[in-house]
Amino acid sequence: MLALDISGLEMRFPGLAAPVLSIDRFHLPAGGRLAITGASGSGKSTFVNAITGLEDVGNGSISWSGMEITRLSSGRRDAFRARNIGLVMQDFHLFPGLSAFENVVLPIKLTRRLAAKERERALYLLSITGIARPRQKIETLSRGEMQRVAVARALLSRPGVIVADEPTASLDRQAGHEVAELLLQLSAEEGTTLVIVTHDAALAERLDRRINLANGRIEQDSQEVAVQ
Amino acid sequence: MITFILADLRRFWSGALAIVVLIALSVALSVTVTLQERAVRLGSARAAEKFDLLVGAAGSETQLALSAVFLQPAPLPLMDGAVLSRLASDPRVELAAPVGFGDSAYGHPIVGTTTGLISSLSPSLSQGAMFARLGEAVVGSDVALSTGAEIKPMHGAVETGGETHTAIAYKVTGRMAPTGTAWDRAILVPIRAVWQLHGMHGADHHDDDGDEANVHGAAEPHQHDDGHEEGHDHEHGYVDANAPLDEHFDVQTPGVPAVLVKPKTIADAYRLRQEYRTGTTLGIFPAEVLTRLYATLGDARSLLLAIAFGTQAIVIAAIVLVTIMHVGSRRRQIGALRALGTPVRSIVTLVWGELFVLFAAGILLGIALGYTAALVISVKLAAATAVRLPVGFSFDDLWLVGGFAGVAAIISIVPAFSALRSSPAAALRA
Repeated sequence: MLALDISGLEMRFPGLAAPVLSIDRFHLPAGGRLAITGASGSGKSTFVNAITGLEDVGNGSISWSGMEITRLSSGRRDAFRARNIGLVMQDFHLFPGLSAFENVVLPIKLTRRLAAKERERALYLLSITGIARPRQKIETLSRGEMQRVAVARALLSRPGVIVADEPTASLDRQAGHEVAELLLQLSAEEGTTLVIVTHDAALAERLDRRINLANGRIEQDSQEVAVQ
Repeated sequence: MITFILADLRRFWSGALAIVVLIALSVALSVTVTLQERAVRLGSARAAEKFDLLVGAAGSETQLALSAVFLQPAPLPLMDGAVLSRLASDPRVELAAPVGFGDSAYGHPIVGTTTGLISSLSPSLSQGAMFARLGEAVVGSDVALSTGAEIKPMHGAVETGGETHTAIAYKVTGRMAPTGTAWDRAILVPIRAVWQLHGMHGADHHDDDGDEANVHGAAEPHQHDDGHEEGHDHEHGYVDANAPLDEHFDVQTPGVPAVLVKPKTIADAYRLRQEYRTGTTLGIFPAEVLTRLYATLGDARSLLLAIAFGTQAIVIAAIVLVTIMHVGSRRRQIGALRALGTPVRSIVTLVWGELFVLFAAGILLGIALGYTAALVISVKLAAATAVRLPVGFSFDDLWLVGGFAGVAAIISIVPAFSALRSSPAAALRA
C-alpha cells in the first residue's frame, strides 16, 4: 500500500502559455481510493502520466510513500513502476500472438525469469478475473475479457497502487461494470491504493474520494480537508 | 523473450519472409561468386598440374596452354618434328610426349600421343589395356565407349563442318582412370596414326616452314594449299591399323603442335623452358600461364563481388527503411512495454533480436543457396569440360560471413535505439 504526495507540481507543454497541470499540494493516504474526473483536456491523463512516472515532470515533486520518483532517472522510474504500480489502460495494450497467460507474465518475463510462485499467481489472478482458458490467444477474447486480463497483469507483482486510466471507457456497459467491480474488489482484497481516471459518474461515486480537474487544477475535492 | 519475438514475427510473417528472401538472394550472389571463382581456379590449377612444361611452335602462350590442358579446339601452328626428337633424347627430360590435336569423334577430342603420356596421366588403366597398334585407342574415363567399340575419327568437329576420315576406325582397347581434367573426355590414339591419317609421313611430306599447321586447325579444316576436293587425296593417307607402335622419334619426325615435357628436376624445367624460347619454338609452364589468366579472372571476380556488395547495400538500406517504419508503427507497443516497466535493455534486445533473427536466417539461407548454386554450376561445367571444379568453403569465408553478421548486428541496433527516443507517455499517444 502506497501513499501519494504531490507538492509544487507544474507541467507545461512547449508552445502553451498556461501549465497543463498545476497542483500545489495533494495527499492520498495509503489504501485510499481516488477517482479523478474532468472534461477532456483538463489534465487527467497528464496527472496519470506524472504520478506513474511515464512523463518527465518540469517542476515539483511526486512521492510514493516517501520515494520521490521525480528525482529518479527514467530507467529507474520504469523499474519503480514495474515493482510498485499496476497500470490498467483504456486500450488494454495487450500483445497479440500471445496467450492470456503469456500476456499477464510478459512484463516479468521481459525482465527476468518467471518464478514458480509468480506462475501460480498469474493463473490464480486469471481465474478470479474470470478467464476460463488462460492459454487462449489474446486476440480471440472479447474486449471485456481483454481488460480483465489487463487487470490480472496489473496485479501480478503485488503493486502498492493500481492506477487505471479510463478502464471502462472502451467497453460496453455490462463489460465496463464487470471490470469496475473487479478493480474495486481486487484492490480491496489485495490491499492496494487505487487511482481511477474516469468520466463514468457511477464508477466515480463508488470510490471514497473524488477530485475534479479543470484547466490543470483541482477544482473540486470531495474531501476538502485533504487539500491544504 | 523468444516467445515474444516469434509471436511478433508470426504476426508479420509475410513481411518477415520477404526480408529473409531479399537478404538470402543477395548473400547467395556473393557466396556463389566467391565459391565458383575459387572452384574454377583450383579445378584448373589441378588440371594443369600434370603438365609441367609444354613446348610448341612460336605463337600464343595462352592458346598453347588452353589447347593442351583443356583440349580446347583451336588452330595451333606446327612445330618442327626435330624438336620432339631432340627433347626425347635430352638427358634432362624424363618424358617427352607429342600431343596432336585436330580430330574428334562423338564430340570427344581425339588426341594423338604416346603410351608414355597415358601412363603419366593414369599410371594404371581402369579398364582394358594400352593401345599396342596404330588402329587402337584408349579413352578417357568420361567417354561413353566400351572396350571393343569402333571410333571413326572426324576431321575437326561436327560444329565446324568436319568430314569423317575413312582410312581408319580406331578400336577401343582400354580406359584411363579418372584424372579430373579435360583429358577425361579425350580419346587417345597413337600419334603416328594421326600423322599417317593426315598424310604426314615424316620428312617426305614434312615442310619446315610450318604452313601445314592448318591441317590440324579444327576451326578451319578446309584451308589447305590444295583445294578441298583435291586435298582429300593428299591429306588422307593410308593407315595400317595393325602396324605396331613406334615411339622412337628421330629428326625425320613429322611436325607436332605441342610436346609435353616432364623434366627431371625443377632446375632442368627452367633451363629447358629458356632453351626452347627461341624464335621458332615456345616453352611454357601451363600453370604459370593459367595463373596469369586467373589474375584477369580475379579482376572479374572483384567486379562481380563489388556488384554483389552493392546489391547488399541496397537491400540493407531497404531493410533499414522498412524497419524504421515498422518500429514507427510499433511505437505504441514499445511505449506500452515501457509503461509496464520493461527495462530499456530488454526492449533494445527485443527490437534488435527480432531484426537480427531475420538477418541471420537470410544469411544462412543465402549461404545454403549460394553453395547449391555453385555446386550446380560446377556439375554442369564438369559435364561439359570434364574439369572437376571443387566447390568448398575456406577459412577466409569465415571473414565474409562474419562481416555479414557484424554489419547485420550493427544495423539492427539502429531501429532499437530509435524506438527509445521519446518518453513512454509520448510513445503511448502515438
